[in-house]
Amino acid sequence: MGNVMTRKYYRFFGSFLTAQERWLNKMADRGCRLVRTEKLLYEFEGCAPGQVQYRMEFIGGKSKLSAAQYRSFLEDMGYRVFYKNINLNYSVGKVRLRPWAEKGGRIATNSTTFNRELLIVEKVNDGKPFELHSTYEDRIKYCRSLRAAWLFLFAMSVVLGILARAWVGGFFAVFSLVPLALYQLELIRLGKKARTREW
Amino acid sequence: MRDNVKSGALTEVTFYILLALHAPRHGYAVMQFIQEKTGGRLSLGAGTLYGALNALQGKGWISPWGDGSGRKKEYLITPAGRAAAEQELERLKGLADTAADIMGIWES
Repeated sequence: MGNVMTRKYYRFFGSFLTAQERWLNKMADRGCRLVRTEKLLYEFEGCAPGQVQYRMEFIGGKSKLSAAQYRSFLEDMGYRVFYKNINLNYSVGKVRLRPWAEKGGRIATNSTTFNRELLIVEKVNDGKPFELHSTYEDRIKYCRSLRAAWLFLFAMSVVLGILARAWVGGFFAVFSLVPLALYQLELIRLGKKARTREW
Repeated sequence: MRDNVKSGALTEVTFYILLALHAPRHGYAVMQFIQEKTGGRLSLGAGTLYGALNALQGKGWISPWGDGSGRKKEYLITPAGRAAAEQELERLKGLADTAADIMGIWES
């Protein structure tokens, strides 16, 4: 990559997955293809406009092993895959409890799944549709993993807000209610569709 | 997989994966097979396919194939998987016959 011109952009999307996906696809339409990510950094090289497409996936509920297996499966499918952090946290010995995660992922550290909560998946555009989850059942399963994470954040914020009488807790509680409600509505919508259709 | 055990009805995705794996295939080849056979009507997301392959392996209907020396992991249907696919074919035949009778089409 030594003498290839790259362009660096600094952005932070946090938990706004759709915004991040939209931005990456907008970059791809302008002829920028991702080569490297760091906490805030997105490094691009040139490509033909619209040559690639991006999808984001939340994998914070997976264990280190199943995240790695899923990633290598996607790479075998011919996709390029990047890990991305959902938080902006620079500490080294971070330990975080995730009771909503699958077995093996409930204690996240820097050497396991912490700061690797998202996957950026790149597909070379071949004119065929590009979605990671296609059946209603599978979309419901994925949507539930997102709802579980938000539900936990909401519950934690309420408890901390009341116990510590801190306005920060209240703020996060209200803030996390929005995605919680959105994912809940999406689940209801998908559930209705799934009653008669598989995909 | 939301396969109904009592009636033996498989989801379309399950049945197509079992059909694809009558020959050894890796994930990408399974996806290609399904797209090709359905004329693009059924386009499976990689995440959905991954979940389905794991679920079918858990049921013992498919298993990894080869000595693992290949770069990509391949799968093949098992005897139990073949039995499930055969049962599904019978069910679909019965369903198609009933539908044709009632709807009055395909009559020669």
